[in-house]
Amino acid sequence: MKITQQSTESTLTLSLDGELDASSSVVLDTELSKPEILGNQKVLIDCRQLNYISSAGLGVFISHLQTFQDAGVKLVFFNMQDKVHNVFEILGLDSLMTIVPSEAEAVAV
Amino acid sequence: MSFFRKLHSFLVPFSLLSWFGLLACTLLYAHPSLLSPSISPPPGWLLLVLQAVFTACIFIQERGTGERLRGLDFVGLIRRLVLGPGLLATVCVGLHLVQQLVQTKLPETGSVLFTCIYTINVGLFVLLLARTNYAWRSLVLFRSSARLRRLWLWFEVLLGITLLFRLFTWTPPFGLSTALLGALAAFGAYISGQQKWVAYLNRRQKIEVILLQLAIILAMAVFVAYFLQTKSDPQLIAPATQHAFLILNAFFAGFYAVIGLLVTFFNLPTAGVFEQKREEILSLQRLTQLIQRGQNAEEVYRMFFDSAIQTVEADAAWLDVEEGAESYPGQYYALQPEQAKAIRNLLVDYNLNHIEYLNNDLFNSSGFRALDLPFGSLIVMPLRSSKRQYGNLYMLKTIPQGFDRESLSILQTFASQAVLSIENLQLIQASLHTQRVQDELKIASAVQDSLIPKNLPIDNWFEISSHALAATEVGGDFYDFLHLPGRRLAVLIGDVSGKGVTAAFHVAQMKGIFHALMQENPLARNEREKFPVPSKFMAQANTALARCLEKSAFITASLYIIDYEHGGFVFARAGHCHTLYYHSIKEEVSYFRTAGLGLGIIRHDGYEKHIKNQFYDYNPGDVMVIYTDGIVEARNGAQDEYGEERLQQMLEHTYYLDAEQIKEQILADLNEFSKGQPIHDDQTLLVIKFKASQPEGIL
Repeated sequence: MKITQQSTESTLTLSLDGELDASSSVVLDTELSKPEILGNQKVLIDCRQLNYISSAGLGVFISHLQTFQDAGVKLVFFNMQDKVHNVFEILGLDSLMTIVPSEAEAVAV
Repeated sequence: MSFFRKLHSFLVPFSLLSWFGLLACTLLYAHPSLLSPSISPPPGWLLLVLQAVFTACIFIQERGTGERLRGLDFVGLIRRLVLGPGLLATVCVGLHLVQQLVQTKLPETGSVLFTCIYTINVGLFVLLLARTNYAWRSLVLFRSSARLRRLWLWFEVLLGITLLFRLFTWTPPFGLSTALLGALAAFGAYISGQQKWVAYLNRRQKIEVILLQLAIILAMAVFVAYFLQTKSDPQLIAPATQHAFLILNAFFAGFYAVIGLLVTFFNLPTAGVFEQKREEILSLQRLTQLIQRGQNAEEVYRMFFDSAIQTVEADAAWLDVEEGAESYPGQYYALQPEQAKAIRNLLVDYNLNHIEYLNNDLFNSSGFRALDLPFGSLIVMPLRSSKRQYGNLYMLKTIPQGFDRESLSILQTFASQAVLSIENLQLIQASLHTQRVQDELKIASAVQDSLIPKNLPIDNWFEISSHALAATEVGGDFYDFLHLPGRRLAVLIGDVSGKGVTAAFHVAQMKGIFHALMQENPLARNEREKFPVPSKFMAQANTALARCLEKSAFITASLYIIDYEHGGFVFARAGHCHTLYYHSIKEEVSYFRTAGLGLGIIRHDGYEKHIKNQFYDYNPGDVMVIYTDGIVEARNGAQDEYGEERLQQMLEHTYYLDAEQIKEQILADLNEFSKGQPIHDDQTLLVIKFKASQPEGIL
């Protein structure tokens, strides 16, 4: 799992590369737990290279969902592979989280 | 045997009796007219017999007293001898002085008093000799051979025989008796060579023993002087005492004391070496014992440090422990941390800090001279095993040439022992931890096993077949059944995120919630409200779980309530895998793709609107396949997932079979697909096949 960050004035983009399993989700959790992250208006998650997400990985997003909402930070996923999107959909997360097809749409949200 | 024991209990009264008899006879013998003129003085042989009986009683009694030596407490043994019988010498001197005093004041009673005191002193001397010689016996026989024990017995027997010498009127020719006595004295002198015990004394004890031996010799000398002086006293009107026996005993007691004294004295210079060796052995022993007592690493380090300083007599020392390994930071002895740092840096410069290193001439090393420290010798001893380096021990002495090769080898032994102890402790810790985790998992596994229903519901309306496989000892999958009134069956399946004991705990919780919520509501107004519909159940379960589930944990579940009286079912899906279904009327296999959010994802009242109920009227021949994500996410060698599609195809090929056979076929296909791959997640599979209703009587 590789996480690359790209930051503009009000938007932070995290690109996930590889499998988000029990061990790599700890790394992601550390990233999302940083207090300065709540200073952004938007946090975009680029899922192009995300091949697999485990329940631990989903747990990381779920646990930060409320904090982000309370702080007014928008969490947007884009470029999601069908396989991963299916996992979000089965769990019902597509109704709670913003998942869009492309980066352009993500920026526009 | 019992006779001797009985005899033994009579010895004290016997000896007292014989002594009083002796006193009376001696008095009468010396002053025949003391009581009344008509009594004739007792014969001389009676006195001699009484003397012999008294002496024999005292000696036999001392002989029978148990072992005087307690462990290796030689000093205690001799001290008790000096402070007990040894003090009798002062009594002797005191009595003699009193007698002298009385004699000058009242000359007429002086003679009687003299006789009394003489008899008392004979008794005391016999007591002193008996005590001393049997104390010496303990020393002679200390760790002795069987041969020496036999020799000692012979010595006792021969001495005993000399006691009888005076009882016969026959007097051996002078030369013979002298030769006999000389031979016995030589025997005693030979036995006096047995001084093994001296080796077990340390320096301080040796000095103490020398002083005590001197005191014993002095006590005996006092008695001997007294008897030598009284021997020529004109007032002594009594037959000579058992002189052969007493002289031999006095000779042996004195000679053994003198030899012991000399041996101890000449052992004094070597005492230091003995002590050092002893200290080394004891230190090693202490280090070894620490392993068994299971103390912590810090204690081992401290023990090692103290033992090393003590053993090589270092003037200053410090111990570095590698960082990160232990909470113990190392320690310093007679040295400032800055000084230690300076030396350490110097050694690092010379690249000598991680090897065994001995420098006995620091004053000639320019680097050390520059530090201006008052040390002439240095040893560096690394603490390391084959696996890693634990630290370094540095020992310093002020003088040059302070350490030798032997110091180095002792420190090596200590260091390897310490490392062994530390590694042993780590092993013990690790194995304890593993053991505990295993025990916990075993319990959790047993608990979870008890949560999986052992008996599947049986009815003539449907068939159920189930399969459950945990990826680890404790998994997060669960399923359960509950019969409801009115020919209804509740089926729950689900998956707790995460694994291990925490997951098992949540499984148990979920089952508890299931059984608690699926109770008949007595306040229900109609049949429909008696039991919660699946969406209501999920909402209530979500509320219950919200308070106890950790933030990142969630549970997926599906609840089905099958009404086989009316041939329909209702279900709700809370983020769980879609239900695969074969519709016999349409001859088609498809998934019920309903919406539904997992439990514990949002924890407020808004949850219920994310859950939908799905009603369906089933037909005989319909097949329902319920499973967890471990089935569809199982992978093959190319890391492809088994997937919903392949599962659907399997049902398309097997729908006409029995529930059990459908399950078997699916599992066989799954195993074929993921052959050789480890199981990543728990796998649970339930197959329910609805059948045409049959009259109950037939079953």
